[in-house]
Amino acid sequence: MDSLTALLEGFATALQPQYLLIALFGVFIGTAVGVLPGIGPAMTVALLLPLTYTLDPTGALILFAGIYYGGMYGGSTTSILLNTPGESASIVTALEGNRMAKAGRGAAALATAAIGSFVAGTVATVLLTFLAPGIAKLAVQLGPADYFALIVVAFLTVGALLGSSVPRGLVSLGLGLLLGLVGTEVLSGQQRYTLGVPSLADGIDVVLIAVGLFALGETLFVASRLRHGPVRVIPVARGWRSWLTRDDLRRSWKPWLRGTAIGFPIGTIPAGGADVATFLSYATERRLAKGPSRAQFGRGAIEGVAGPESANNAAAAGVLVPLLTLGLPTTATAAIIISAFQSYGIRPGPLLFETQSGLVWALIASLYIGNVLLLVLNLPLVGMWVKVLRIPRPYLYAGILAFAGLGAYALHFNVFDTLTLLVVGIVGFLMRRYGYPVAPMVVGGILGPMAEEQLRKAMAISQGDLAYLVHSPFAIAAYATLAVIVVTGIWLKRRKARLEASPALVPTGAVAAVEIADAPADAATRDRE
Amino acid sequence: MTESSPVPLGATAPGGTPDPATGAPADGAADGRAGPGLAGEYAFAAVSAALGAYAIIGAGFIRVPPGSASVLGPRAFPYAVGVLLLVASVAVVVQIARGRRGVPDDGEDVDPDAPTDWLTVAKLVAIFLSQLVLIESAGWPVAVAVVFGGAAIVLGAKRWWMALLIGLGLGLVTQLVFGAWLGLSLPAGPLLDWIPIFHG
Repeated sequence: MDSLTALLEGFATALQPQYLLIALFGVFIGTAVGVLPGIGPAMTVALLLPLTYTLDPTGALILFAGIYYGGMYGGSTTSILLNTPGESASIVTALEGNRMAKAGRGAAALATAAIGSFVAGTVATVLLTFLAPGIAKLAVQLGPADYFALIVVAFLTVGALLGSSVPRGLVSLGLGLLLGLVGTEVLSGQQRYTLGVPSLADGIDVVLIAVGLFALGETLFVASRLRHGPVRVIPVARGWRSWLTRDDLRRSWKPWLRGTAIGFPIGTIPAGGADVATFLSYATERRLAKGPSRAQFGRGAIEGVAGPESANNAAAAGVLVPLLTLGLPTTATAAIIISAFQSYGIRPGPLLFETQSGLVWALIASLYIGNVLLLVLNLPLVGMWVKVLRIPRPYLYAGILAFAGLGAYALHFNVFDTLTLLVVGIVGFLMRRYGYPVAPMVVGGILGPMAEEQLRKAMAISQGDLAYLVHSPFAIAAYATLAVIVVTGIWLKRRKARLEASPALVPTGAVAAVEIADAPADAATRDRE
Repeated sequence: MTESSPVPLGATAPGGTPDPATGAPADGAADGRAGPGLAGEYAFAAVSAALGAYAIIGAGFIRVPPGSASVLGPRAFPYAVGVLLLVASVAVVVQIARGRRGVPDDGEDVDPDAPTDWLTVAKLVAIFLSQLVLIESAGWPVAVAVVFGGAAIVLGAKRWWMALLIGLGLGLVTQLVFGAWLGLSLPAGPLLDWIPIFHG
């Protein structure tokens, strides 16, 4: 009951008019930016960071919560309505959602995605409310060796599971760790890898790494092979009637709940984030579908939108569990949120629920509020999001560059940060071009210094005895889990690659191509059965 | 979102069937050992390996303060990072040599069949570099106008004057919202500094 009263107090804070307004603004701007093609949730959060610089910590975190959920939601609108192959993170939604939109059922796809996001977000936030304080209480008892084990688990799973190959993920992680080393070392006050540049003595801000890799690197990469020609957005029928029929609802509610059940646990462990959750949910729905809906898979089955979209949002809330209770980021977005916390002198971790309990509960309350606002905001505003999707690409990417510049300069009002941003951006471009995942680099940048701190604390306690790192049952369990997660994760990725490679799921660029692809698709579906 | 699985356009792509080893469109190459970007791919892995070596060598030069209380000094972790980076980079080189090429990222606005347009990238980098000089000499609004206008023109905006105009508008709006309203100290520049609202 303790957490219930705390939550009510959180609501009392978050429902104050100015914070409510901030939440509304966060959800709105998060969705608007998230809808923009090519902008994922991580880039949304990174680009909108300057908005929070002058707010008080509570306001900033509430704004963040709104942006985070809004950005998650916005992405699904893009993949349903934009007539191009979507990015992989949301590709599962695109598989069925895009087909539904082409068949004139775009409104139903958007509606089931919106309500599914709401259901999943709310259920997952309830789980977060009741799980987080307990986990935090347990985590207080963890020693430096246990923490070090947890961090190693987090970054090795992120490094190994994201991207096309394990070594590439680890290179990305290593580059992030190296950037994290730059600066003055805390314990001994020595400068490391600063090349004698005074501006580097303070270290490289994770915000620069995130904005550089996501905003600048992505823009340069898209620019290098920009799809020319007109933007094709699938039209959506207007009016309430086309949203969800009784039949759609009947077919959607179970996938919503199943998606939540799959997404939340996967979000809480560092197993590759929402990507894995959406894929698992899609595979489950396809296996469970019966009768006519089974035949619809591959041509716009509503279950294939409802399930993955719920899983996506439940995972987004799940990510907040390790973030708030342990201070561990498991996705690039979470890494950016942690760095934002740090800029306010707030250290996420087990003590957060004791030292900053008002703040945390206001944040959690604002997650509930944000979910409701999203539902209210999104369905009526679909027409506006469609307009956003049509922004001419030269202006869109020019705008991203301008805002990336703002984010870098506004950090310390020093153009040296702008230069650092550009260098990181070029690295990000090359990584995308040559098939390296960028998220491990962001996570490495923020986890590296934390890992070193815990490692050195542990070594100070044990007088240099390395065996101390595995002295506690918790640490041993963590390393064992690491092995299990990596093996399962690699197995899941293999399955996913096979699923995506099957011709039934070709995300085609033009309506005409659907008809051509349909014939072999049917054959392939039969083959698998 | 960084998951770089290939867009399975194998059925329609001009390159032919997807390469079974990597899943990548084969780009006309039989086994993925040739094709565009191979040199660059080796170069990126080599530079990463060099950075790993640099981290290891550089770690040796970190001054360890005498009599420091902690057992593990400021060098140990850098050594570990350097080794990780070096080993992983070498593993990538081996993978490339065995024909497991990197798969370029995909995205809504990315044309998977287009070759890399390095010239556009270089132009954008040059335009972004102008910020280093312009923000503090000409002011934020002008710097944004140049970056936005320049980038939009390079990316193929239909009317160049429109791009510059929108850029200037964006610069002024961000100056007002972030500088005057939210209180970030963005320099207004000599052209606008005399107007009280921009001076904020």
